[in-house]
Amino acid sequence: MTVLEAENVSYKYSVGTPFQITALDRVNVKVEQGDMLAVIGHTGSGKSTLIQHFNALLKPTEGRILLYGKDINESRETAHNARFKVGLCFQYPEYQLFESTVYKDISFGPANMGLSSSETDERVRRAADFVGLSENMLGKSPFDLSGGEKRRVAIAGVMAMEPEVLIMDEPAAGLDPRGRRSILELIGNYRKKTGRTVIIVSHSMEDVAGVAEKILVLNRGSVAMHGSLDEVFSRSDELRGMGLDIPQITRIFSELNKYGFGLKKNVYTVEQAKDEILRYLHKGGNAK
Amino acid sequence: MIKDITIGQYFPGNSFIHRLDPRAKLIVTFAALVEIFLCKNFLSLALIFIFSVFSILFSKISFKVVLKGLKMIYFLIFFTALLQIFYNEKGNILFEWRKIKITDGGVYTAIFMAVRIISLIFISSLLTYTTSPTTLTDGIERLLSPLKKIKIPVDTLAMMMTIALRFIPTLIEEIDKIMNAQKARGADLDTGGVLKRAKALIPIFIPLFVNSFRRAYELAFAMECRCYNGSNHRTRMKIMKFTWRDIAAFIFIGMMLAAIILLNHFFGAVI
Repeated sequence: MTVLEAENVSYKYSVGTPFQITALDRVNVKVEQGDMLAVIGHTGSGKSTLIQHFNALLKPTEGRILLYGKDINESRETAHNARFKVGLCFQYPEYQLFESTVYKDISFGPANMGLSSSETDERVRRAADFVGLSENMLGKSPFDLSGGEKRRVAIAGVMAMEPEVLIMDEPAAGLDPRGRRSILELIGNYRKKTGRTVIIVSHSMEDVAGVAEKILVLNRGSVAMHGSLDEVFSRSDELRGMGLDIPQITRIFSELNKYGFGLKKNVYTVEQAKDEILRYLHKGGNAK
Repeated sequence: MIKDITIGQYFPGNSFIHRLDPRAKLIVTFAALVEIFLCKNFLSLALIFIFSVFSILFSKISFKVVLKGLKMIYFLIFFTALLQIFYNEKGNILFEWRKIKITDGGVYTAIFMAVRIISLIFISSLLTYTTSPTTLTDGIERLLSPLKKIKIPVDTLAMMMTIALRFIPTLIEEIDKIMNAQKARGADLDTGGVLKRAKALIPIFIPLFVNSFRRAYELAFAMECRCYNGSNHRTRMKIMKFTWRDIAAFIFIGMMLAAIILLNHFFGAVI
């Protein structure tokens, strides 16, 4: 079933001024229920503009955004409701914290939905627990936390709205390698546990390769590719032309295959690489 | 929407007005503003209004931009005019109904005030439209430098101003981002009464303040690391020089002053 659909969406910034820029040019995308989709593109490719359309923060200059087949920009109300159905977590979300305690900050979204206080409480605790915030942290001021913890609080704030679609804009940006891994793992777990649709925006193929199942590649405001990891990564030359690349490990494997090792082509993470190498060695190599 | 504010913005260009020395531009602007207040009748006011319009044409900045800048104060102009019409009781009565009295003196004053405010905005915004913030502060610093003799830290103040101006666009961008983020969490910023709207600003201003302090610390550290010291007899990359343009501007504004005084003297005063 299609959850979100962009139908011929174009978006222009500063219409009617000499600074007019076309950020999206007739984009058609369908996001299916339960998708784990990564949106990838170079800086200025229109990634952020596209996802801000999905929860009605931006209104398309042309075209429509459909949520379960209904235009989300039909009225003020539908646009407002779309914000709760499509949870959007911006880049560096820790800079948006404002409440006096972690608990209150996480409850901002659910409270805006007009939920009862017991329902809000339940959701806040569930979200906090999910992102790994301990009970005693809920009473602390968010400004006393470390950078990584702040980000978890902000993510929990969006998750607590329990949206049908969760969109994360560069969730791992500015974190150290361990922080990156744990945030990406967290998103993977969220998807596994809830089965809801998740969209990750990133410019790093490495990050995406570990979690995503489908990839949408944007280039200069248009959809360049949309398909499974295998489909997209098999077009590495085209990707390189757009200033993108396939994961390093995949490149190493394709180089190895040029020397006649008969290795699998769809190796995207170090973990998969390890398995494949072990399988290969076990079988007894036949390198020339 | 916040990005649409044009007052205080700088539009690069190469016109006569752009190329005036910032000190000359400051003095001429100040003189023109004083002259606006010297005007006593419609003739002198018309002169200064035409001057302001021609200055804009001369600067090659589109009128659309300037009018957009006026948008924010339409209300002020309207309100001032309204007050004059209803409360000024000079001259002949044009219309009377119970306690409301409208006189021709009131209407004239209303028009006078409106034109005066518009001219003020035209001239003062032209200064920032045609001068980059750094050049402007440089100019102010140079004009105020005699005050150093009485131990006023002019250069430090100028640096503070430069920093403040430099961060306006950054802050606007940041407000936009935070607003979007809170809207994404369902914050309702556009509906409700005054109290509700004021409350809705809390989730925007707290992060804004927190981030500004953080940025201020970072900037201060970066300046310390480069051993910044406000009053170290800095030399300039661009040395300011008066040219024939500046002299022409001075002569012109001086002639305007004379003309306004003469017009005030020979024709009756409205105000």
